[in-house]
Amino acid sequence: MEPVSLLICKRCDAAHRAVLMQPRERARCHICGEVLAKPPSLDSDRLLALTSTAAILFAMTVFTPVLSIDLAGTRTQANVWQAAVSLSRGWISAAGVALAMTMALVPMVQLLLLIWILVFARQGWRVPGFRGAMLVLHALRPWSMTEVFLLGVLVAVAKLSAWVHVEVGVGLWSLAGLTVILALLNLQETHAWWSLGRRGGSA
Amino acid sequence: MSIVRAHDVGVVACETCGWVLPEWAALEGRPCNRCGLLAHARRPRSLEKSLAWLAAGIICYLPANLLPVIYTSGIGGSQDSTILSGVVSFWRAGSWDIAALIFTASVAVPLTKFLGLGLLQWSARCGSDWARVSRGKLYRIVEFIGYWSMLDVVVVGLTCALLQFKTFEQAEPRVGIVFFCAVVITTMLSALSFDPRLIWDGRNRG
Repeated sequence: MEPVSLLICKRCDAAHRAVLMQPRERARCHICGEVLAKPPSLDSDRLLALTSTAAILFAMTVFTPVLSIDLAGTRTQANVWQAAVSLSRGWISAAGVALAMTMALVPMVQLLLLIWILVFARQGWRVPGFRGAMLVLHALRPWSMTEVFLLGVLVAVAKLSAWVHVEVGVGLWSLAGLTVILALLNLQETHAWWSLGRRGGSA
Repeated sequence: MSIVRAHDVGVVACETCGWVLPEWAALEGRPCNRCGLLAHARRPRSLEKSLAWLAAGIICYLPANLLPVIYTSGIGGSQDSTILSGVVSFWRAGSWDIAALIFTASVAVPLTKFLGLGLLQWSARCGSDWARVSRGKLYRIVEFIGYWSMLDVVVVGLTCALLQFKTFEQAEPRVGIVFFCAVVITTMLSALSFDPRLIWDGRNRG
């Protein structure tokens, strides 16, 4: 049997024979119901547009205050970096590092790698360093936690509003947008990119 | 109904890129010819690693709940708060919704993960054929709720960033938050080490 014509469910290891699918169809595992294959819902151009938007929103989230308060004439601001920095005291720094990694660095690296891959993918090419980029993207996927940061911001607002007046900054709106787009991007099936550029660069 | 699985047709699926390669190649230790990583029929030492990370998570769960996570001082006096005392003070202040959210993310989610991962590992170790579809769903749930417990780390970080030394009300992080973070990371590693395909393996395979 030719291995390439098989689809193996990554959850339960059930083997399925691959068939030609209609657009909008999706193949599900007949044993456990996992999605085996689906046609890409967005083409590379649209994905690149979404990823670039996410990158701009990410920059806004990182460089503007998400929350700020005014107490007796002193103004303090917070976003993801300041939250991580405020946890940098001795042992507690480990929590700060985890926060900075999962809610800022990992999403940033994901976005940069996606843009890097997509700029070439829309012309049907593999970028230089394609394999490394794809492997890093695969490894980072579980560790991207922007949505948890968004929920944390909302809880912090609710918590602090009992004592002080909390102002919501531009960063919160860009954070909300970023969360939605990252969720959309994480739904995309990226296995198909592995077949990019295999035949003289035309896909 | 008998299930035809990868082993029965002599292939192995690469977990990283989805490529299907012949089983003999994987057994010889040849890397996947699409992504270049080693393709394993099952994640190596899956149950051992998963159990070790789970044990580490359960050990960290005690100090995470017993030690204070934040220190606050202000007009109302100064105090160290644990996760649970934070939940209680929200409840008393009448914000039962926030109290429920923090309780769910910080106490219920880690406990669900412990129980879920324990059940998955134990039944896979026994090669049990009990409720396989539901156990597959349980694994997906454990994967999905994995990171939501980082919520409290974010809340403590933001609170401490906003209430600094220069303001009248002050907040400082306390060491409990590190253990809390460790619970999230170790249980995520436990779920990532567990190979869901083991759920479907019988006694004769492993």
